[in-house]
This record gives sequence, structure tokens and C-alpha cells, in this order.
Amino acid sequence: MSPVEIPRDFHRLIVLKVNGESYPLAVRDGDTLLDVLRDKLRLTGTKKGCDLGACGACTVLLDGEPRNSCLILAAACEGKEITTIEGIGKDGGLHPVQRAFVNHGAIQCGFCTSGMVMSAVALVERNPDPTAAEIREALSGNLCRCTGYGRIVEAVKNWKRYESADQPPEHRGDLKKHDVVGRSVPRVDAVEKVTGRAKYAADLYLQNLLHGKILHSPIPHGVIKKIDTSAAEALPGVKLVLTGKDVPDITYGVSPARYDEHVLAKEKVRHVGDEVAAVFAVDEVTAERALDLIDVEYEELPAVFDPVEATKEGAPVIHEKSKNNINTVVDHHFGDVDKGFAEADLVWEEEFVGNHVYQSPIEPHASIAHWEDDGHTLVLYSSTQVPHYVHYMVARVLDIPLGRIRVMRPPVGGGFGVKAATTPLDLLTALASQKLGRPVKMVYTRKEMYLYGRGRHKQHMRFRIGLTKEGRITAVQSRIFLDGGAYTSFGVITAYYAGSMIPTLYYIPNYRYEGFRVMTNKPACGAMRGHGAPQPRFAFECLLNMMADELGIDPVEIRLLNAIDANTRTRNELDVRSCEFKATLTEVARETRWKEKYGKLPPGHGIGIGCGGFVSGAGYAIYRGQVQRSSEKTPHPFVKRAVFPHANAIVKVSEDGTAVVLLILAAEIGQGSSTVLSQLCAEALGVSLKRVRIRTEDSDICPLDLGAYSSRTTLMGGNAVVRAAKDVLKKLLGSVSELWGCSPEALEVKDEQIVEKGGEGRAMAWAEAARKYFNDNGPLVGTGWYKPPEGLGGDYKGAAVGTSPAFSFGSSVCECSVDLETGKVRIERFTDYHDCGTPVNPQAVHGQVEGAVVMGAGETIMEEVVYDEKGNILNPDLHHYLIMTMKDAPEIMSGVVDSYEPEGPYGAKEVGEGATLPVLAAVAHAIANATGVWVKELPITPERILKAMRATEG
Amino acid sequence: MKLVDVRFHAPRGLEEALALLEGLKDARVMAGGTDLLVDIKQGLREVRDIVSLHRIAELKGIEDEGDRLRIGALVTVRELASNAAVAKHIPALADAARSMASEQIRSIATIGGNISSAVPSADLPPPLIAADAGVELESSRSARRMSLLEFFTGPRETVCLATELLRSVVIPLPPPNTGISYFRFTLREASALAVASVACRITLKSGVVDRATVVLGAVAPTPILANKASRSLLGKNPSAELFREAASHAKEEAKPISDIRGCVWHRKELVHVLTQRALAEALERALGKAEVAE
Ligand SMILES: Cc1cc2nc3c(=O)[nH]c(=O)nc-3n(C[C@H](O)[C@H](O)[C@H](O)COP(=O)(O)OP(=O)(O)OC[C@H]3O[C@@H](n4cnc5c(N)ncnc54)[C@H](O)[C@@H]3O)c2cc1C
Ligand code: FES
Ligand code: FES
Repeated sequence: MSPVEIPRDFHRLIVLKVNGESYPLAVRDGDTLLDVLRDKLRLTGTKKGCDLGACGACTVLLDGEPRNSCLILAAACEGKEITTIEGIGKDGGLHPVQRAFVNHGAIQCGFCTSGMVMSAVALVERNPDPTAAEIREALSGNLCRCTGYGRIVEAVKNWKRYESADQPPEHRGDLKKHDVVGRSVPRVDAVEKVTGRAKYAADLYLQNLLHGKILHSPIPHGVIKKIDTSAAEALPGVKLVLTGKDVPDITYGVSPARYDEHVLAKEKVRHVGDEVAAVFAVDEVTAERALDLIDVEYEELPAVFDPVEATKEGAPVIHEKSKNNINTVVDHHFGDVDKGFAEADLVWEEEFVGNHVYQSPIEPHASIAHWEDDGHTLVLYSSTQVPHYVHYMVARVLDIPLGRIRVMRPPVGGGFGVKAATTPLDLLTALASQKLGRPVKMVYTRKEMYLYGRGRHKQHMRFRIGLTKEGRITAVQSRIFLDGGAYTSFGVITAYYAGSMIPTLYYIPNYRYEGFRVMTNKPACGAMRGHGAPQPRFAFECLLNMMADELGIDPVEIRLLNAIDANTRTRNELDVRSCEFKATLTEVARETRWKEKYGKLPPGHGIGIGCGGFVSGAGYAIYRGQVQRSSEKTPHPFVKRAVFPHANAIVKVSEDGTAVVLLILAAEIGQGSSTVLSQLCAEALGVSLKRVRIRTEDSDICPLDLGAYSSRTTLMGGNAVVRAAKDVLKKLLGSVSELWGCSPEALEVKDEQIVEKGGEGRAMAWAEAARKYFNDNGPLVGTGWYKPPEGLGGDYKGAAVGTSPAFSFGSSVCECSVDLETGKVRIERFTDYHDCGTPVNPQAVHGQVEGAVVMGAGETIMEEVVYDEKGNILNPDLHHYLIMTMKDAPEIMSGVVDSYEPEGPYGAKEVGEGATLPVLAAVAHAIANATGVWVKELPITPERILKAMRATEG
Repeated sequence: MKLVDVRFHAPRGLEEALALLEGLKDARVMAGGTDLLVDIKQGLREVRDIVSLHRIAELKGIEDEGDRLRIGALVTVRELASNAAVAKHIPALADAARSMASEQIRSIATIGGNISSAVPSADLPPPLIAADAGVELESSRSARRMSLLEFFTGPRETVCLATELLRSVVIPLPPPNTGISYFRFTLREASALAVASVACRITLKSGVVDRATVVLGAVAPTPILANKASRSLLGKNPSAELFREAASHAKEEAKPISDIRGCVWHRKELVHVLTQRALAEALERALGKAEVAE
């Protein structure tokens, strides 16, 4: 072995002037300003989203100009005035731009917010009255994956309204029925986020911290013959090197039937990026250097990248267990499709191909672990959507009880499904910190996020629809191959969702779905917003539109004809209660003046419609049985009911009665759950929102909630919260009634007073009553929980996927223009009406819709992870993987229809994922309407549009 | 080599910078760093020493020298986009500058870096070539100048030696009745590299095309002249039909590759469309520029 060459760092002393203060610092020559601000000055308001100049999250002002601090060397910043998000507030207060962001709903996950605000501040300094176009130009280097941008533009446009006293906007569509529910209040975490004070996982620096890095497989498929880590271990500063032999021989994953991942590869690597080894060292740089010193010998195996090829005889086998690489087969048949098609007047069959898109939250995944109580308790910080499933999975792999683990979920900078599974970072930090007795931190680079994958499955779909000449659906059949990548992850569930969400919008008397999830040598796919459903929904809606045109029926009419109503049992045996789908259709048609436009626009201009809906919380937990270490229990047979409550809350009133602390593990990932749950809590208690503080981050303190997936938090978490609040109220009213010698039923809460019903009677301040309660009874605490109702869904295999206490519905109309010479699409306007039940916070609802529209529209026309023939990703960064910028985003009009879900808290249900579903087809239809050609493969790029147009020209 | 391993030099003057380049092996100059740092971070470039130009006053500023514009290598893209002389004489260069990247990148990215990177899709070279721009290179031993077209030798390859610096870009002021234009096609509206780009120049004399240049970007290893297209315009009365014909030549002359941004077929189609649009715009500008005659 050759002697290790120890690289020499070139250090220098510099003085940086940051936010008016001078800091003498020793930096490496090659340190970026971003790393120095964060790692040395701990000014973590400045975020690292891509580290390559493509996202803008790191934007700071250098002598007043906005700059990507990841692309400037600190050494070159001497003598310059550096301003970060921490330095723009005035006299301890917020900058008017920040206040505008708070009040206009311009913040969701908050990860882009610091950079966005810095760009906005720079803009208004030199142009105090920017137009919308100027704002979109100036902020186009700041990517946001959550908001859809419109509210950010509004905030910047209105910043002057916050120069002295705030003049917040009028909120369209607020309800007057309740005091707190139905009101567009600012997010409870808005100020933390807009100031950069919110600490995301990567912003945490524990003392004595070590840093880990992963060695990824460079080949798509192969056997690991030998790993030599000696040179890496010898590198000064390296504390530990782990390879497959050092990690537990316990598999993990998501779908319990198919745990097929190891923390580090045991024998085989199955995709480029597969985890082979990990190094833990005094800093990231040392760990990275050590990675280069690990010598791995592979025996390369033939690889397969196409799902159809992968199922053929003789294709390379990726997992011994999956014959022909088929991971899951679904065959659902309801009614008789042959009979249905025979009854039809028009039967069309078309093939559609989806795209492999990536969630691309701006915050990269990060985990930090350490062990407390003399090594007894693992404390794991993770940027996750599902702290409880991480908890469960880490307990499984480490084989310790859940009670010995404390999961902390700091604010999460967006997830969209990519943070809905336990990551190698969670497991590696836990293992390494145990071995090392020191805290360990790991953060993915943007490229590693793509290598880890879990993006949307690319689906190869064949759809067949039968219609009567009046336009009634007689049968629907689909056959879908899902390209799953190298591991199962969520894939089994994805394959079921691809079928189960089709019959939830229209009456489909006969329905058959055959699904095949296939393994290929690419990073595993997972759950992404709308899980499994958006691509089939796109295919179905497009085909319906084609056939409506053929029959001469208006696309809106054909939908109204087939749309389901409230209290329907769908053909695949899902129970739909509230349903105002038809209202969303008529509203969206009215708002867009559909009838005047469809078929009447000049060439190059198009209008299109798509519909969709989604579950409001999965009816079943992802794992079976009780909350328990998986090795302790015999596999639980499937029972048709929730075993344990999926959401749980504690409401605890402060001893002086002036504050309420709401505890629930619900994962705030930007979608606004903490705000919505706080509103529900305040409403149920009869106190103002200001009195409620929510704590969601710590599994030691907060009772279990399954997390942010399947759009479950508002309904399930909300029900648990309302119940806990009512529990408190019952105790409180009980004690007051005792004091007053009346019955509790004679009391109610009004304006933070406990009063006798009917007015005129006695009254006591809420806080005073709570104090008195404490004096006599000790802590005023209420608990509540929510279990999905028993008996949801059918009895067939796979019936559990798609069951939900409630379903959302939505209709979107897209208006676009297409350059008929180049194929370029401009999405001009989007109109969406959604049935989300009671909108607990209308502004938050619209924010979710707007974000979904922009994400979905981008997904339809520009997004795709591209591989070369060796399984390498060609665009693993935010400059080449294209997500919409502020200049691409359309104008959006989002509306809600009147609806009340009896199973939901105050009638509420979901909006987060459902809003994605109509988008793809609406865009595709609008493009077809503008060009006269249907592109049935996503993304609908200019190239594909032009090719399709040429093909019809002959 | 990782970025943290580099040694950083910030010479205070041109002479010092050139001396450093002479003395160091594996050194790279850095202007804005928006290409260089990205390349180093992605492991695309081995660099031991970075010689930053940010302090060198000699490389800054745009000067109107009467018959030409001299643009220092360190002039940022944002300055180009907002400079009055550029807007007046070579609006196509301002168009190109405005269309590039994002606000943050534009405020630090330089013209020298954009040219020296020699990325085939770079936005500034096509309009500069259409405007007959030349570049001045300097080392501690010599200085030389050449047309920008000759500067490029391949993708990410130029004639510039490791010991040399691009000092300035020199653009002769276009004669009267001359219009220059730049059109690019991208897959999104901001922060996107060109899939194809076309810069055109037309000089009119008595209503006919006296001189024409069609430059294609992102469709060959370097920006290229579409000579046939240019020649086909000479001596003719400009018309949509003439431009279409020229565009067909340009389409033939383009030598694109297929990559994630576009396939050969689409790129050629784009050249066809963009050339027509760029010629129409150049014509409009040429007609509008009659009064600039001095
Ligand atoms: C997010 C993002 C978006 C981008 N978008 C675009 C775009 O739309 N269009 C586009 O054209 N480019 C784009 N770029 C690329 C880049 O910003 C430009 O090419 C920029 O002009 C490079 O200038 P710079 O000063 O940053 O160069 P640097 O990175 O400093 O240097 C680039 C190269 O040129 C050399 N060099 C620099 N100056 C000199 C000199 N005076 N003499 C000799 N050699 C020199 C360096 O050694 C290096 O090899 C983008 C980059 C990023 C990160
Ligand atoms: S982190 Fe600097 S631009 Fe993304
Ligand atoms: S709020 Fe912009 S990325 Fe989440």
C-alpha cells in the first residue's frame, strides 16, 4: 500500500464584516462564504440548498448586491459589507419585506425564505416600486418548491404596506362561522422562518460533533469482492469507517412485506449510488477525503434499466426474491370489463408514458444522532415527514425498544414524499454515534439526494375506456408497469394507489387494473405527492378528453355526467362521504368562461381541463400490529381496522391559565399543519390563537402521530386535537359548574370567558377558571386520539390501499400558449376549485393548491431525471433538473367550494396532495387544444410537441 | 483536489497576476467563479491554485473609444445588461446578458469568464462574434489579439495559455444601417442554458444586404459561423422568404449533438426558427439605425 498523502490545507486569517460587525476568522483558502457563515459564525439563516449556485437559498448581500454565497470564496470577501438574513431587521423588529412575507402567506417550509427575502430586499432598495414582472425577474434565481411563487410576488409588491403599521391583505373566502377556524391567519412559525431563526436539521451543531459521509457505488449492478478501508482509517481525523459487514444483518424498508435494504450493501450493489461504506471524521472534508482512499473491488454484473426489458426471460436478476424482477403484481377486477366494453358505443385504448420526477425539496436530507443517559437512549434528529416510522424503523435495525429512542424533528424544508421513509442517514448516524460515543451529523449533498432517489415512479400505462354515445362510462381497464428502481421502498403501496384512485371520481360500473412494479438498476422510487395516482389520473383524464371530443361532448359535461355524488361506495369499495366534485367542475367552468373558450381559441392558444382527488389520510398504518419493536412480535395478520390510534394529542394548560400548549407529533413540513392544528385547538377551547403554542418536534414529549403522508394531518391530527381540547374544556367547565353550583351543560365559552348560557349570567375569565382548576385539581391536561373508523374499504387483497375516512375532489383548468414553431409552452393561467371540506385556513389551502399547480405543471412540461446507459444520472442538480422558476409559474386562481366532511374536524379534509392530481391532464389537454396534437409521454417537452405536430402534418 | 485544498491568490494588479500565472503550475484564474467553482466542486477540474482577478482594476470598466467599445474582462454580465453604451451600440449584447442565468449569477459572472469557459451554450459569444469582436490576451511576456471566433478551439478549449489572461474584449462600433440580434431557446424562463442560439447581423446598403453574419451557438463544439446562410443574404432585398432560405442553410450548417437539453433534430429545427427571427430583428434594428450614421 502506498503511503497516504496527507493533503495540506491552506489557511489564512481574514476579517469579515458581517451585518455590521467585524469578525477575525481563520479560514481555508477554499472555504466558501456560505460555509464560513454557517460553520464558523453559526449564522444558519443562510441555507445550503444546492451548493452550486442554482437555488438561491444561500443568497446574501455583498455590498448590497444579491449573491450566491456558495459560489464565493470567503477569502475574496474581505473589505466587503456582507448582509445576511440575520442582519436586515430593524431595531429588533422585522424588515417590512419580512412582514409582508408573513402576512401574505409567502412562506411554507421556509427553506427558500431567507434567500428569497434577501433578493427581495436588494430589489426594493434599488427599485422601491417594482412591477410583478420586475419581481419575477429579480427573484428568478431563488427556487421555491412549496408556494408556487404567487404569494411571494404579492408580498414583495406590497412591501411598503408594512413600512410602519401593518396593513395586511383582505382574505378572500374566509368563513365567518367560527372564531378561529376558517380564518386566514399567518402561520404560527412564519416569524421564525422569515428571520432565519428556525433551525432545520443541518443548522444544528452539537458539541464534539463528528461528520459522516457515504461512499456510493459507481456501478449499477455488481458484487462487492473486496473492500480495503485501511488507508481511509489511517487518515488523521478519521474516527470510524463502516462497511456492510459492520452493520446489522437486518433489512429495512417501508412496505412490511418487502424490507429489502441494508444500511450498507452486504454483498451486492444494485444501482449507481447504492451505499457501500461510510466514513466518520472530525469534519466533512476529512470524511470526504477518506472516501477517496477506500478501495473497493467489484465484479460488475449486467444491469437493466427498462422495466419491460427487466421482466423478460434472461434479464439480470436484481433481487433473488423477485423473479423476473417483478416486485408486486396487482390484478383488481370489479364487475366485468368485457361486458362493459361490449355495452359501449365507443371504446378507445391508448398508451401513455409517465416520467421519473424528483420531489426536489430545497432542503437536503440531514440527520444527527447521539446517545443520552449513559448510552441508553438514542436521540435522533431527522429532517423527516414521518418521525414515527423513522422511530419504528431505527428500533428495528438497532433492535432496541422504541422506548429507548427519542426522535426529534426540526422544521423540515419541504418533503413531498422524499422524506417519508427512513434514510441511510438516520440509520448511519444512529449506529456510528453509538460506536463512537459522540454526536454524528450527516447531510446529503444535492447530488446524493438524487442517488438516494425515492422520486416518482415512471409508469408505462395502457388505458382503455368504454363510453356510451351519451358519454356514460361503461368500463375502464388499465395495465401499468411501474419502474421501481432497485428497492421496494413504498413501491407495493404505489402500485396499489395507481389503481385504487381511478374509481373515486366517476361512476365506473366495470373496472380492471393490472399493475406490475418492476425492479431496475436505478435508485429506488418512492412516494411523491399524490402517490402513484397522478400519472394514471393523467392518462385517464386525457383519454376521456380525447373521447369526449370524438363524441362531440364538452369535456366538462362528460365529467358532470359521470361524476360521483356524496355518500357513494365506489366500484372498488371505497366509502366516500362528503363529495362536491360536481361543484368544483361547475365553478371552474364558470370562473374560466370555459364554454366561451373551449374549441374557440386561435391556434397556439389552448385551454384544458383535468380533475382529481385523493385520500384524506390512509385508513391503515404502514406497518401491521401494535407499536412495538418488530423483532418482538409475531407477524400480525391483517385486520380490517386500525390497531392503534393514528393521531394523538395532549392539550396542556399553563398553570396560570394564560397559555395552552398543544403536543402532537404531527410533522410540520411546510404544509402548515402546525398552524391548522393550533387553529383547531384554539377554536375547540374557545381561546384566541395567540394563547396556543404547539410543540411537535420531540417524540419524548409529543404523543404519536403517524406523520405527513397520505394527506392525513388535518383530518386525523385535527380530530385528535379537537378531542383533546374538548377533554380540557369538559374538565374546566366541570370545575366552574361546581363552583357556581350549576350543571356544566349550562355553561359555554365566549370571548375567552366561561359564561352561563343565554347571556346575562355569571362570567369568569378563561384563564382565571384554568388557574382555579389547577389550585384544586392539579394539571389541566386533556388527551385526544383518532383512529380511522372500522370497516373501511373492501375485503379483497390490497383493499387497504386507498381506504380513507374522507376523499378530496378538485377540478383544474389550464390556459396556455404554445409557440407552434419551436414547441415551447407557456402556462399562462391556472384555475382550480377544490373540495377540501371546511378550509381551516383558506390562505393555507390556496398556498397548497398554488404549490401543487406549479409543481404539477413543471412535472408535466419540464421535469425528468435522466440516466445514461450506465445508470448514471445526467442531471443530479438544480441547474439541469428543471423545476419551475418564478418566471415560469403561471397566474393561479384557487377557489374552494362549500363542503362539509362529517368525519373531519369542523368538517375539514385534505388539500395537499389532491391538488396535484388534476394538474397534469389539464396541462396536457391545454397543449393538445393549442396544437391539435396529443403528446402522451411526459414530460411534454417542446421537442415532443414539435415532433407530434410534424407527424400529423405527414 | 477538492475546493478546500486550493490555494487562493488575490493579486492587486495585472502585472502581479501575470507573474503568478507564470510561476504556478496547475493554476487557474478566477473572475466571478460561477463556472470555475462549480466545475471544481463537481470534480470536473483539477486546480491547485486559484488566481482571483477581483482586485485588478485594469480589467474593469467599459470604455467608449470612439470607434469601438473596449470591455474589460471583469465586466459583469449585469453591467453589460445595463450599460448605456452597450445598449446604444450593441443592444444584442445587452439582450444576451439579460437572458442569462439569474440576478445573483449575473451580478458576479463576467464577460471574460463567459468567453474563457468556452462552453458551447454560452450566451455572450454569439452576439459578440456577430459584432466582429476581438479579444486581447496578455501574458507577462507578450500580448496578442485575435478575433473572438479564432479564440475558441473546442468545447471548453481555447487558444488562451495557462500563463495568459484575457484582458479585454474589443468591439468595433457597427457601421450605420447595421442591426445585430440575439435569440436563444431554453427549456425554462430563467437560470437555463441555451438549447440553441442564433446571433445575426445585417448591414444594409441602398436597401440590399451588404453584409450579413449568422452565428450559431450551442449547436457545435464552439460558436460557429453559418457561412452559407450569411452568403445567401448578400446583395439581396431582405424578405421573409429570403430569411427562410438563409435559415434553411443555417439548419444544414448546424452540427449539434443530442444531450439532455435537446436532440439533434430539435436543435436543427430551432436553428431554423431562431435564424429567421434573429434576421427579422436584425433587419428591424438595421432599419432603425440609419440615423446613427455619423
Ligand atoms: C446557475 C447558473 C446559471 C448559469 N446560466 C448561464 C447562462 O444562462 N448562460 C451562460 O452563458 N452561462 C451561464 N452560466 C455560466 C457562467 O455563469 C457564465 O459563463 C459566466 O459568465 C462565467 O463568468 P465567471 O466570471 O463567473 O467565470 P469564472 O468561473 O471565474 O471563470 C470561468 C473560466 O474562465 C477562466 N477565466 C475567467 N476569466 C478569465 C480571464 N480574464 N482570462 C482567462 N481566463 C479566464 C477561468 O479560469 C475559468 O476556467 C451559469 C452558471 C450558473 C452557476
Ligand atoms: S446553495 Fe447556493 S445557490 Fe443553492
Ligand atoms: S417555502 Fe419555498 S421552498 Fe419551501
